[in-house]
Amino acid sequence: MILQIIVDMVGLGATYALLTIGIALLFGILGLMNFAYGEIIMIGAFAMYLFKDYPWFVGVLAAVVFAVVVSVLTERLAFRPLRNADPVTLMIASFAVSLALQSVMRMTVLPRTQGVPPQPFLTESITVFGIRVTVLQIVTLVLCGVLLGGLALLMKKTPLGVQLRASAENFQVAKSLGVKGSFVIMSAFAIAGVMAAASGVILVARQGAVSAEMGLTPLLIGIVGAVVGGMSNLKGAALGGLLLGMGTGLLEATLPTDLIAFRDAFLYSAVMVVLVIRPQGLLSGTKVRTS
Amino acid sequence: MLLEINELFVRYGKSVMALQGASLEVGEGELVSLIGQNGAGKSTLLKSIVGIAPVHSGSITYDGAAVTDKKFSVIKNRIAYVPEDRGVFSSLTVGENLRLGAVSRKDTRNIDADIERELARFPILGEYWSRGASLLSGGEQQQLAIARALLLRPKLLLLDEPTLGLAPIIVDLIFDVIEQLRDEGVTILLVEQNAVRSIEVSDRSYVMQAPGKILGSGDAKELAANEAVVDYLGFSPTGLLGDSE
Repeated sequence: MILQIIVDMVGLGATYALLTIGIALLFGILGLMNFAYGEIIMIGAFAMYLFKDYPWFVGVLAAVVFAVVVSVLTERLAFRPLRNADPVTLMIASFAVSLALQSVMRMTVLPRTQGVPPQPFLTESITVFGIRVTVLQIVTLVLCGVLLGGLALLMKKTPLGVQLRASAENFQVAKSLGVKGSFVIMSAFAIAGVMAAASGVILVARQGAVSAEMGLTPLLIGIVGAVVGGMSNLKGAALGGLLLGMGTGLLEATLPTDLIAFRDAFLYSAVMVVLVIRPQGLLSGTKVRTS
Repeated sequence: MLLEINELFVRYGKSVMALQGASLEVGEGELVSLIGQNGAGKSTLLKSIVGIAPVHSGSITYDGAAVTDKKFSVIKNRIAYVPEDRGVFSSLTVGENLRLGAVSRKDTRNIDADIERELARFPILGEYWSRGASLLSGGEQQQLAIARALLLRPKLLLLDEPTLGLAPIIVDLIFDVIEQLRDEGVTILLVEQNAVRSIEVSDRSYVMQAPGKILGSGDAKELAANEAVVDYLGFSPTGLLGDSE
């Protein structure tokens, strides 16, 4: 029983960790709190709906292409013209992009919630020592591990990764050394697009539906998870997401039925306690301004 | 002249005029220093060359091209800039920092040899190659910043207060390197508060007074003959003549 709860908690934690990485990546490199990230997830999920009659991997591929293209386009059309604007202006712009994407989808191809039948193989489960693990949980864990590992490898071992880290620390100096600022920023949006696509794929498999508004909840979870873990620290953000998901899973499994409705109140109270003790996040090395 | 600055005015916001008609010339292969007290406008002048200070009026030409032109590329024209705060990336290792200096170069085959050359010039960087740059001392960070700038194979090297806050032994090392680079043919514009050492090593020096006005220029002898410069510096550079001639 306890092991089963732990497996379910880790499965949900991995889903949440995926949500936090893309948000923390853009915040770390650009200082941009991108509220349109939820809509990029929605675009990825929409691709899964569009290609629901094709083999699963075709939908996944389409989700990555759709999310990356839209993510890069938002950078090119909305954020690049505001490159030198202050963070608040950028944040407001991201709100505008979020609402615009949502409205366009609602008015055109996604006026109401659409069902996406779950892939049969994802709903299958295996039982090991009495613990039931669904294929979707395994896929989520593997995807989270591969993406997080791949991103860590990219950041640490490739010239692009070094340029991304340098730009995150001091964009002006990086540019003065010849780092192509626009390319680096576009790459960050493309990587965030891949992360959003992965999140979209997992969410569609879990929920079995897509809607124009579906990005809001994952966005909030992603932001809270990233803040808890350490906003500009990718490992911290992933840890924050993982813990948030595990906390949600734990409360779902242990709260009495009549208190389940207050699950989020308990969870976010715990988040507030964490932030009072470590306002800079769990793994962030630097202190944030507290006054 | 490789670099010519004429009647340069730089304004921050609507009221703060950081440079007021500064003019300066640097010939190819020359080591020219710009000295003056804090807030005189020296760093602003360097920043205006690399395009990070807003030029209000006046001109900056480099090798005949207008630096203020939007199409002018500081990197393509091989102008390397070492800012006052060194601009070392603390989240990167020494090696990663160093390699970033060559990020814009097309001749990738020669980069490793150039890195070897800089490691021979600054051996401490080789020792700490895999160490996080945040763990370096101020002097080591300055060596890293200069070595990284040199990986651009600069035609013009702009150094902003490279000895600020460093121990005397490191100050000696930095000035030795500056002289060495001049001997290698690198054109250098050095901004410094250490007037004595700067006038000593430079071919010519400019003395700048707040707010952004050039008080006088020339070699040690010419500076010594300028009463306003001697008053401002608080010493006569005549004592440095033996070194500068």
